[in-house]
Amino acid sequence: MTAPLQPTFDRLRVSKELSRVASATVEEILHGAGAEPERSRRMRVIGITGAPGVGKSTLIGRLARSRLKGARSLAIVAIDPTSPCTRGSLLGDRIRMEDLGEDPRVFIRSLPSGTSEDGLTDNVAEVLDVLEGSGFDEALLETVGVGQTAQGVRTLADVEVLVLAPGAGDHIQAMKAGVMETADIHVVNKAEQPGAERLVAEVLGVRRRARAGASAAATVIQVRAGESTGVEQLSAALDERLAAGAAVDMQRVRQRYRVQQLVQRRLQETLDQLPVTTWDASLPDNYLAVLRRLHAEARQFNPSK
Amino acid sequence: MTDASTHGSLRGRRILIAKPGLDGHDVGAKVIALALRDAGADVIYTGLRKSPGYIARVAVDEDVDAVGLSILSGSHKELVEEIVEQLKALGARQVPIFVGGTIPEADLPELDRLGVKGVFTSAMKLDDVVAAVTEALV
Repeated sequence: MTAPLQPTFDRLRVSKELSRVASATVEEILHGAGAEPERSRRMRVIGITGAPGVGKSTLIGRLARSRLKGARSLAIVAIDPTSPCTRGSLLGDRIRMEDLGEDPRVFIRSLPSGTSEDGLTDNVAEVLDVLEGSGFDEALLETVGVGQTAQGVRTLADVEVLVLAPGAGDHIQAMKAGVMETADIHVVNKAEQPGAERLVAEVLGVRRRARAGASAAATVIQVRAGESTGVEQLSAALDERLAAGAAVDMQRVRQRYRVQQLVQRRLQETLDQLPVTTWDASLPDNYLAVLRRLHAEARQFNPSK
Repeated sequence: MTDASTHGSLRGRRILIAKPGLDGHDVGAKVIALALRDAGADVIYTGLRKSPGYIARVAVDEDVDAVGLSILSGSHKELVEEIVEQLKALGARQVPIFVGGTIPEADLPELDRLGVKGVFTSAMKLDDVVAAVTEALV
């Protein structure tokens, strides 16, 4: 056994920087953004998504082991849901990544989903920027277990892994029209359990319909508990996918996503500020009133302030 | 579970709930974690049997505002001291530490000396625990 390589990042600094951007308001993000347009990213981002309970965190723990071979650092961003009632959250993904805990090359940040509704967290693009700026070569991004709306991770990750598990049939139904079609790699987790073969067949069916049969088989990987073959296969598939690069110009797509996120949050804030009696008016009147309000804000906005 | 007076009092605060040492009972830790979450905090829970070094590193990586330690094994003085040491070794500022569990009254001065901001036992009401944490974080 060789001694682990020394980490290349400054723990305290990364940590403070992440806190700063993760809790930044729309205005703070805009003021901190600078005049440069979205630039290309060097850090590899692997997005891991899937319904609650399919074993995403456990899989990430195992996958991280494989990604760390020869690596000097690895960042993991794990997102858990914010309660809509109390705005609090319980961030417990770490519990399932146990054996990573003692490796100083790994940096794990747990974040609440906040006001984000696409399985990610507020300012997630800026969080990734901080990690890249801190010297990380690769980040694993674990989403809140989502079904149909996973556009965010599709946009921000270089490769998207959808984790499935036998016995969660209803989730498959919900995902058929969404992330099932967009994910690059499908993992059938807990493949030692009954129903795994049927699930693999189902996934292949959806893929075939979505992509007219093009090499659908290669994208479905079975991972079994206590067996490392599947995880190694997944890691190799990730490398292959990352080496192939993106088909479209992701800089523009990411910029569009950032703008969309900021405008949505700003709209939310604007709606929250309106008195409740606003909603006694007619639908067209309300619609216009909100647009006018946003227009007024735009006139006041000064990014260099 | 918490009443109106503590509702939202910990919003935006990040709190680590950790179980150092070898005892395997985490019902208390989970109850506290949920109470803090219900008061609006983002609660990071480590799971059972974590080393002081690991807990200190999680506190740094997660940039928490407070650390709550659940200790039922009787070695609270040693564990707290080691976690404080490890935090220092990582160059972290001294975050408020709270301890919950079976802690004899005679040990309170020593824990106080180590910088512990509050000691909670099972006899305490959850609202009082949340209020004490809130007060220490203002």
